[in-house]
Amino acid sequence: MDLGFIGLGAMGRPMARHLLRAGHRLCVWARRPATSEPLHADGATVCASAAEVARRSAVVFTVLTADSDVEQVVLAPAGLLEGFSSGSVLIDMGTVSPGLTRRLASRLAQNGVAMLDAPVSGGEQGAIDATLAIMVGGDAQVLERVRPLLACLGKTIVHIGDHGAGQVAKACNQMVMVAAIQAIAEALHLSRAAGVDPRRVRQALSGGSAASRVLDTLGLRMVDRHFTAGIEARLHHKDFRIINDEAHRLGVPLPVSAPVTQQLNALIANGWGQCDTSTLLRVLELSAGEGQ
Amino acid sequence: MNIGFIGLGIMGRPMALNLLKGGHRVRVWARRPESMQPLLDAGAGAASGPADVALAADLVISMVADAPDVEQVWLAAGGVASAGKTGLVGIDMSTIRPAAARDIARRLQAAGVDFLDAPVSGGEVGAIAGTLSIMVGGGSDAFATAAPAFACMGKNIVHVGDSGAGQVAKAANQIVTGAGVLTVAEALNFAAKSGVDPAKVREALLGGFAYSKILENHGQRMLERNFKPGFKSWMHQKDMNIVMQSAHELGLCLPVAAATTQMFNAMVGSGLGEEDSIAILKLLERLSSAASE
Repeated sequence: MDLGFIGLGAMGRPMARHLLRAGHRLCVWARRPATSEPLHADGATVCASAAEVARRSAVVFTVLTADSDVEQVVLAPAGLLEGFSSGSVLIDMGTVSPGLTRRLASRLAQNGVAMLDAPVSGGEQGAIDATLAIMVGGDAQVLERVRPLLACLGKTIVHIGDHGAGQVAKACNQMVMVAAIQAIAEALHLSRAAGVDPRRVRQALSGGSAASRVLDTLGLRMVDRHFTAGIEARLHHKDFRIINDEAHRLGVPLPVSAPVTQQLNALIANGWGQCDTSTLLRVLELSAGEGQ
Repeated sequence: MNIGFIGLGIMGRPMALNLLKGGHRVRVWARRPESMQPLLDAGAGAASGPADVALAADLVISMVADAPDVEQVWLAAGGVASAGKTGLVGIDMSTIRPAAARDIARRLQAAGVDFLDAPVSGGEVGAIAGTLSIMVGGGSDAFATAAPAFACMGKNIVHVGDSGAGQVAKAANQIVTGAGVLTVAEALNFAAKSGVDPAKVREALLGGFAYSKILENHGQRMLERNFKPGFKSWMHQKDMNIVMQSAHELGLCLPVAAATTQMFNAMVGSGLGEEDSIAILKLLERLSSAASE
């Protein structure tokens, strides 16, 4: 199939490669041409604009960071909207606000273009291993048409509901995940303060009811003090803006997510935005007067 | 002075009336025509829209709900800026994000309007009495021009700093008042559920280091269970969201404000949005054991 791909970062690059490897023709475009080069070497066609990608593709994937990036790529001059034709499909796999997704989907629908929001969980490793969890919002029939494509990228593909529902699920994913990271950081920080080896504590917890994937992976990073990303904390920080805005919009209290946001704010303030989110441990150490 | 006034809600109406009382010539506009009537009865002129408000004015004031409304009134087609009155002093007294205020000031400057952000504290009571606290951000010349108008509406008028500084002060004010209302409600709820008369507890606290205007005023209304606004909790929720967004932009850790925000979210989500912010007491009661009373 003729596919387009925009957003060739740490997540997008391996995802695009899987599509190429599955035998699809791939058109790419990036704001900085250098970003496209590795994919070009793998056989992708580099286009001059997002509109050109849209013109040459039946299905276009985007994996971008911020709401404003996605809005630009779709709506700006020479953006996807200009190149799409009736029947085209846009699959946005980045994490953006449900509100933006709903706005874009209805704008695209006016031109007969279908959109799915399909954010993922599983990190860079999940993207490389093609084991991502994919949370899909939009028309179920559209999903069935593109399911074989998504199956190249992930293992768990769940249709959550209408437009924006995938993004809501992703926001929930981030709330649960980062709260767990914070809880584990607190537990390991407390162990050490109590003179107990955090490594042993983590090991013990892994066998019991507190076992979790976050404890396995980010907990290990914390005891190894291996704070190189991984998942850059600035991305989680960005996601919590979405979460708090939704809580405000819906009038829903988030008594745990709110202080987690504050810890992430403190992490960013200390210049650790590009470190792994396990760096939340270091924020606790700062409050304890360490590491200054 | 010739003053244009846009936005005649709970706060805007008495503020505009006080400008009239102060001897200024005032022309008004509001989205809903019926909210203009009390001002017209008091001698104000009627304008047909924001641009029209600006035509004969030396000074234009807006008092609306949120940043998109402020943008609409000042910068949209038919907005104040479109009147092309170079040298006009503009004042927005709504509570909006500091970053939004700075952005609007910058864009208005390009249109020749000298813009002040001047949010207020003191509620409807302060607006009627002309005793508002006014926190001003922007240039000194514009502040000097606006001073006589401010004097009709408020008592404690502070030029806090450059553009946006007034909104920063207001956000800080909302942190203190939001957390203040919540802690007073917690303390009185704690006393009541412990089987102790909360009125006596309030009275005792008023004499010590826990004294605050909120304990005095809001605390009293909590005891009376008078939840009529005042200051609607959905507005405080909006203001707390401004605080949270600013903290996110700046990388600030605000643990108390964050927790307080969640309680306001819960109030709005559970139908208490139109009640005064002291209805936070009802939320605490809902989350507490029914024992004692």
